[in-house]
Amino acid sequence: MKSLWKAAAALTAIGLVLTGCSAGGTGGSGGAAKLEFQTGLATSDPILKTLTTMTQKFESTHKDVSINLVPMTNTYEADMKVRLASSDIPDIWATHGWSLLRYSDFLEPLNKRSWAKNFNPALAPAMENKSGEFFALPADTDVAGIVYNKKVLADAGIDPATLTTWDDFAAAAAKLKTAGVTPISASGKDSWFAGNIADFIASGAVNKSEKAGLIKGDFASGGYTKVLDLVQSWQKAGYFNADFSSATTDDLTRSLAQGKTAFIFVQNYVVASALGFVPDAELGYFPIPSANGKPYLVGGEGHAYGVSKTSKHKDQALEYIDFLAQPDNLGKLASAIGGIPGLTNAKSDLGVLQASYEKFVKPGTFPLDPYFDRVYLPNGMWDTMVTTTSGVVTGQSGVTESVGQVKKQFGTLYGQ
Amino acid sequence: MTGTTKAAIRTKVRRRAGAPFAARRINLLYLPAILLFLGFTIYPLVNGFILSLSNWNGYSPSRSFIGLGNYFRLASDPVFHNTLINTFIYGFGSTILQQVLGLSLALALDRAIRGRNVARAIIYLPVLVSPVVMGTMYYLLFSYDNGGLNDIVVALGGSKIAWLSQAGTSVAIIVLVNSVQFVGISMVIYLAGLQSIPTVYYEASQLDGADAWQQFTQITVPLLRPAFATSVVLNLIGGLKLFDVIQVLTGGGPGYATNSVSTLIGKAYFDNQSAGYASAMGIVLFIIIAVLTLIFNTVLNRRRLEGL
Amino acid sequence: MTRRLGRWAIALGLLIMVVVQLVPFYVALTTSLKPRTDLSSQWLFPTSGLYLANFQTAITDGHILRAIGNSALITVVSTAIICLLGALTAYPLARRTTLGNRVVFSAIVGLIMIPPLSILVPLYSLLNQLGGINTYWGAIVIMVVTQLPLSVFLYAAFMRSLPIAIEEAATVDGASTTQTLFQVVFPMLKPVTATVIILTSVSIWNEYALSVFVLRSPDVRTIAPTISTFVASQGSNLGAAAAAALISVVPVLLAYLVLQRYFIKGMVAGAEK
Repeated sequence: MKSLWKAAAALTAIGLVLTGCSAGGTGGSGGAAKLEFQTGLATSDPILKTLTTMTQKFESTHKDVSINLVPMTNTYEADMKVRLASSDIPDIWATHGWSLLRYSDFLEPLNKRSWAKNFNPALAPAMENKSGEFFALPADTDVAGIVYNKKVLADAGIDPATLTTWDDFAAAAAKLKTAGVTPISASGKDSWFAGNIADFIASGAVNKSEKAGLIKGDFASGGYTKVLDLVQSWQKAGYFNADFSSATTDDLTRSLAQGKTAFIFVQNYVVASALGFVPDAELGYFPIPSANGKPYLVGGEGHAYGVSKTSKHKDQALEYIDFLAQPDNLGKLASAIGGIPGLTNAKSDLGVLQASYEKFVKPGTFPLDPYFDRVYLPNGMWDTMVTTTSGVVTGQSGVTESVGQVKKQFGTLYGQ
Repeated sequence: MTGTTKAAIRTKVRRRAGAPFAARRINLLYLPAILLFLGFTIYPLVNGFILSLSNWNGYSPSRSFIGLGNYFRLASDPVFHNTLINTFIYGFGSTILQQVLGLSLALALDRAIRGRNVARAIIYLPVLVSPVVMGTMYYLLFSYDNGGLNDIVVALGGSKIAWLSQAGTSVAIIVLVNSVQFVGISMVIYLAGLQSIPTVYYEASQLDGADAWQQFTQITVPLLRPAFATSVVLNLIGGLKLFDVIQVLTGGGPGYATNSVSTLIGKAYFDNQSAGYASAMGIVLFIIIAVLTLIFNTVLNRRRLEGL
Repeated sequence: MTRRLGRWAIALGLLIMVVVQLVPFYVALTTSLKPRTDLSSQWLFPTSGLYLANFQTAITDGHILRAIGNSALITVVSTAIICLLGALTAYPLARRTTLGNRVVFSAIVGLIMIPPLSILVPLYSLLNQLGGINTYWGAIVIMVVTQLPLSVFLYAAFMRSLPIAIEEAATVDGASTTQTLFQVVFPMLKPVTATVIILTSVSIWNEYALSVFVLRSPDVRTIAPTISTFVASQGSNLGAAAAAALISVVPVLLAYLVLQRYFIKGMVAGAEK
């Protein structure tokens, strides 16, 4: 028994020595600036690979800087919040759509950098504040519509360009359902999908005067009821996937790639994931039908990277951001994302989505609306939108009840 | 406990407060632990309590205090009530299932059968994998398209089942997955308990003509009581604090239907920007579980003394 | 006849349980051996030969081996500290049952129940001020404070079941409290120590809720948070996650196989006094 305790004591000692070492290691030895970059990317994300190669190139010409690219876990947003709350802020981080509304108090404005003149003006409503400042380098410009499987629609004889009203859309969904395809796949667990449905529809369903009211703090019950009524009509017709409540991103993208699903209401990043399963799947996106008037696209900040204004190595971090902003590098990043570059002087390869871009985005005939919740709803409403939408999709709750919940949360969060 | 008699217990109780343990300085032994707790648990807990009196959004430097508002809101929040019920189902459901399965497995694997050690190791195996990871593997089986279970259903001529689409079945599946993963712990505790029962007792009772069932109810069950207590307390805590499995299998959905208090705290804290409200839930959960465990402990201690 | 039937029923039940426990690992194995483009049933092994890229990804991009080392270090050190501190703390609480000590004991037992998320932010801030984020000692402190209450509970329960006469005899013979503790009491604690080790080491090895926040750098990250970098909702890679999970199970399974006999024997030994 004595030996057991001796062993314990020895282990403790080893532990203390090791922790001593590690503490020394993080203290910044050798004078090189160690920057922490929270990438918001999973370990095997191709964008992270591109970023890694690029960073190595930067480090080879900047011997005094080393950049630690940290892959995310599935608690990225929570992690960032904990760190902001504890003033343990990384030098650079991915702002995942929130550079202005959530993070701008913590970020260095970048509108004075040399590349700022090339900032894509389409991003201004989402990323610029009233005084024209923006806080992150946009790798891409997020433009989203309804993602669809081209082959499935072609087989059913549906041209997505003709789906300009929700009635057209419902007729197409009915046709697809008879053909044995799941018309719409979404998920309440991977909450982007459920939330996007409400968010995408709301831009067109809530009218102008209601939108003005929302900004002043009056909830638009009428418009929001229209959103959930539409969702409920799809639920009643059986247009949603059977595994709505538990599906993961992988489940949805695989189903889309295999042609088991026709439509997904989500940003274009899912296309890369779908192509991972079926490399030659034919996918595209089309503008969202509107309840009042013309179809539209939604969009705003996609992948963007900001620099902490309290970083000890702010100059080096900004230098690194400038490096990423070089047209060649930014183009590569945007190509890895499969998106339109966030700077106008860079070019990217849109891959399979090139055709949709040429047809619906480039001519500029369809308006690009900002994400509804970011502009018209207070910070923190997203989760309520997700849960109420999934409540309606799964038949757990009715429209009136759900609208009531959204209204209540709006009241709690507005002006907080 | 097995060797002691009533008389010994009585002397023990009487002497407990006497010499040589009257010296107060013996309490110095727990000082390091108390200091650690004060710094790293009590302080954050008190801090959490203070947060629960505010409407903090979880990350910004500013917050304002709203008194007991969050607690009143909890009292009238149907989502929280439903979540509390789920939490109890997870806690007690897993506990019951794990005792039944764990004891059965221990009884079966206490015998000298071939492959006993291999079977024990395999049943214990899932305990060695983090619930987040194990949950992901189980999800593969339960998923709708390409799911292992549905492949079997289809092969048998049925049509695919959306296993996790209904609140009721999802809660049951979560309880099942949690119980099956951690049944190894109960099994090991009961195995140890069984092996600590001297074989003489069985031999003696056999001479007295007791049958297997009588031996089980009159020797095995009473002497397993300490093992039972340990196993129940552990499973109950694990079940009531359940988080990872729910997160991976349903994310708390459909709607809010399968949340436990722990997952709801996560949602309120990080998704709803209601860190103050989330802290209030944490405090309430803490109080509920602490009270439950204390009650359970008192009952069990009393029964243990009476039983002897 | 019924006896034989009963035996068959037991064997069948055992077989079912064993299969149920193995199925997730089997599925993990088939998943880990397939590329993402292989959409065949989970029950089937890949037909086009072995595909080991997932294992390679888990090791080179995921640093799973490093994570296993980190987990092992943190688990061993924390468990050792928890055993030592647990026994020290439990002793006065078990042997000197004044009102004050009973309150302290209840308070410590109450700490078992704290939901990790409700102390996360204050705890993180504190560790950050002390420089404990992304360090082994920070993780060890967290593991110790979260697991220690349970170990105190188990040690105290066990100590109460020990006959006090031996300790009294030692005192009569002139031993100091410290001598009694280290030379008389501790040697009797072997069985409960086995229980504490088995329970706490497993919890620490699997801990996710707090370590995912505190251990962020791949250099110090433990297994569960590391594997979760493969299953983040965008760009997930289940094949690599499954491969990483399988790799990480091997060492701990070996340890269990070696120690299994010792643990059960250890747990038993105590009750046979």
